Amino acid sequence: MTEQQGLENSFKNRIAAWPLWARLTSLAALVGIAVLSSKWLILFLLIALGLWPIMVLLGLGVLVLMSKSRGGWPWMKDWLKARLRQLAVPALSVLAALVIGGLLIMFTDQVVYQTIGEGQIGKGIGMGFANLGRAYVALYQGALGSPIRIVSAIFQAIGGEGIKPILGAVRGPSDSLVQSVPYIFAGLAVALGFRAGLFNIGAEGQIGVGWLAAVIIGFSFPGLPGFIHLPLAVLAGALAAGLWGSLAGILKAKTGAHEVITTIMLNYISFRLSEWVLCGPLEDVQGTCRTKEILSSAYLPKFLEHPVTMHWGFMVAVAAAAATGWLLFKTTWGYEMRTVGTNPDAARYGGMNVAKTYVLAMLLSGALAGLAGVSQGLGITHNIALGFSAGYGFDAIALALLGKSNPVGVVGASILFGALRAGAARMQSLAGIPTEIVQIVQSLVIVFIAAPAIIRGIYRLKDDDSESGQTVFSRGWGS
Amino acid sequence: MSVQAQPIDTPKTTEINRKDLIIALLFLIAGGLILVLGGFGTQTGERSIFTDNILGELFSFASRSTLYTAGSVCILIAGLRLIRALDSIKSLLTWGAVFLLLFGFLVWITSGTRLNITGMIQSMLTAATPLTLGALAGILCERAGIINIAIEGMMLSGAFAAVAFAGVFDNLWMGLLAASLVGGAMAAVHAVLSIKYKVDQIISGTVINILAAGATRFLNLRLLEPAGLSSPGQLSAIRIPLLADIPIVGPIFFENSPTVFAMLILVVIINYVVFFTPWGLRMRACGEHPRAADTVGVHVNLTRYVSVIVGGLIAGIGGAYFSLDVVGAFEDNMTRGQGFVALAAMIFGNWSPIGAFMAALLFGFADAIQVKMQILHPVLPFLNVFIPHEFLQTAPYILTIVVVAGVVGRSRPPAEEGKPYEKQ
Repeated sequence: MTEQQGLENSFKNRIAAWPLWARLTSLAALVGIAVLSSKWLILFLLIALGLWPIMVLLGLGVLVLMSKSRGGWPWMKDWLKARLRQLAVPALSVLAALVIGGLLIMFTDQVVYQTIGEGQIGKGIGMGFANLGRAYVALYQGALGSPIRIVSAIFQAIGGEGIKPILGAVRGPSDSLVQSVPYIFAGLAVALGFRAGLFNIGAEGQIGVGWLAAVIIGFSFPGLPGFIHLPLAVLAGALAAGLWGSLAGILKAKTGAHEVITTIMLNYISFRLSEWVLCGPLEDVQGTCRTKEILSSAYLPKFLEHPVTMHWGFMVAVAAAAATGWLLFKTTWGYEMRTVGTNPDAARYGGMNVAKTYVLAMLLSGALAGLAGVSQGLGITHNIALGFSAGYGFDAIALALLGKSNPVGVVGASILFGALRAGAARMQSLAGIPTEIVQIVQSLVIVFIAAPAIIRGIYRLKDDDSESGQTVFSRGWGS
Repeated sequence: MSVQAQPIDTPKTTEINRKDLIIALLFLIAGGLILVLGGFGTQTGERSIFTDNILGELFSFASRSTLYTAGSVCILIAGLRLIRALDSIKSLLTWGAVFLLLFGFLVWITSGTRLNITGMIQSMLTAATPLTLGALAGILCERAGIINIAIEGMMLSGAFAAVAFAGVFDNLWMGLLAASLVGGAMAAVHAVLSIKYKVDQIISGTVINILAAGATRFLNLRLLEPAGLSSPGQLSAIRIPLLADIPIVGPIFFENSPTVFAMLILVVIINYVVFFTPWGLRMRACGEHPRAADTVGVHVNLTRYVSVIVGGLIAGIGGAYFSLDVVGAFEDNMTRGQGFVALAAMIFGNWSPIGAFMAALLFGFADAIQVKMQILHPVLPFLNVFIPHEFLQTAPYILTIVVVAGVVGRSRPPAEEGKPYEKQ
């Protein structure tokens, strides 16, 4: 053990030696400081995202400093190699998917076809590349903003023009993070299910149930102070969706019914029932199929002014990821879930209550998915309308795979998908490319992640044994 | 070793009795409800009249007394089902009771009005068409051992291809052909991913669904709409001379759109191929016990490829139903989850073509009734409310959960489904 690690450990030990109240108070103090200065923290986060190359360089600088005391370049080389190995397949998958998406953009254009048809092949291909360039620049700017604009806005702010220009410049990163909020929740939901050996395809329906419940509570109690109303709405959404999801868990535990079938069917049941509720009893204005607006006391507060739409949902999502990680890897329940997920027979033999674990896992998974709907309902739309399902629940499967069912990985993958979604919106308005290209890219990413052999073949990577231990879900239907 | 998930701690010995008891109880409740509907949901002297387009009035029932009879017989059957001596005709009794319940419901909603029964059966058959075709695709795939939740995606891409190629070739039949081929191509992707690359079959199916939803929309916006090709028109009905003139049966079976005919023919063919030919036997062996099939010289993976791709070809035709039959144009996500109802029909029909067709007809009935109810607005007695038609739309899904959970009768999937096969 090197000296540095020893120091770190002793620091950890010293904190662990504090009495509980002291640890809790200091944690609360830290959270308090973070909340009070949240506006500035978020602004910094957004700028950092927009200027990510600088941040990467800074990170490398920190790494160099750290490596000084740990054995210099060889240590750093190993560290970087390990990270690259972990990221190689996901990153190359995303790259390959973006390239194929690019080809689709290039070769699905009327004008390009016409030009090539007229015999000017070179010109046609050139136009294709021009289209592609325009589209992907718009995608980048929609997702991460324009770095030049951010830098100039910072200088303007230093020059005394206030933070207004910065707010305009970091709109891209903010949109990406806002879009990533439902992704994080839904991805965590599916990942938690994966860990327990359950394939929760029902996230889409659970999102709707949670959204609806939160909105109902949101418009129901006028006069309630925000600090009661908001948590109440959030909890109601999570609870409703959790109970809805746990139906599949109960069915699996009691009868052995395969959760893929039951969650698909529960999805469609919830869609039909929501059609009835939204166009019937809860419809606000005849013919709109939309509920009332929620009261402002149930709004998820925003950090900054327009056009930055970042709301507290993002913080809750990150906290939920931390909580999920803690639950899965540091608690008995999590241990039981992971054991049941790896081998239910062994778990049963070892004295674990498999039935209870299935129900619990589906309850938690449903609750997490519900929070995705809650964050949309209380943070963005402030109501729920017909056609609310935007495919988050299905994309979540990709996220859980991409993040290897690891909360940190899921957050990373969600921010990536959120960025793609935010960028796609801008790409549509600037370059006229339909946002569905993102869906195509996402499905290709799943293919490549799920079949690493394809990616290895394309890039001629060496085989890596560490990835063969994937969970198997398809143990047959029904009985 | 059996891989089916066994129900967790349910003692086997008492299960049969409990199951019969539950069914009897359900029939008892349903029969009671029919009696209540008869007593309080109809007026004295009201008649339910079933008609036909050509023949006019076919049957006329006195609503109240018919409902009383149907309800009482149902309750009687509930009792009979518990008698051991009648075990041999148990399923007959069950189907009889189900029929009576549906009939009773029909009589109740038409009480005081008329119902075009031929039209009703026609719309039932039409609604059942994509479900049956999708279910057939699922059966071929799953009987060979590959899980198929990608029916929705295959049908959607088929629906798109039908419109695209019908427009390009200016010929609807080319559209139908292309729909089938593109459905097959999607199935081939599923097959390669799950057989060659051994991707988890549920993940592979999900990929097909997401890809189909995204790609059809993207290509529609980028290619079809700018070129003005997205509405080529509808397939016209085919009328078989003479046979179509038979009253009632004629209009139902012999005057239909090509997809309905394709469905009816394929049900018969697939049922024959799967259960009565050597190839069908080999295919089922690949799903039940691939190792044994391999030992006697069956090419397991080849058989699986063929089954999955043929399934895709059929699902593609099911997709063409949506675009070329119903609307005559392509709309975003126009299959609207019917692929998953097809999956439900497959499970409900116990992985058999005829069974799936029956299940699809039942779901089609729910659909047809639901449309009728939006017109007739029957009022529930006591509660004085309309039954929201969305409730009836959930029926296929609820029935499927009930069947999968094995509350009333259990369906049995192929044993080795979902596992990639590796030669040793």
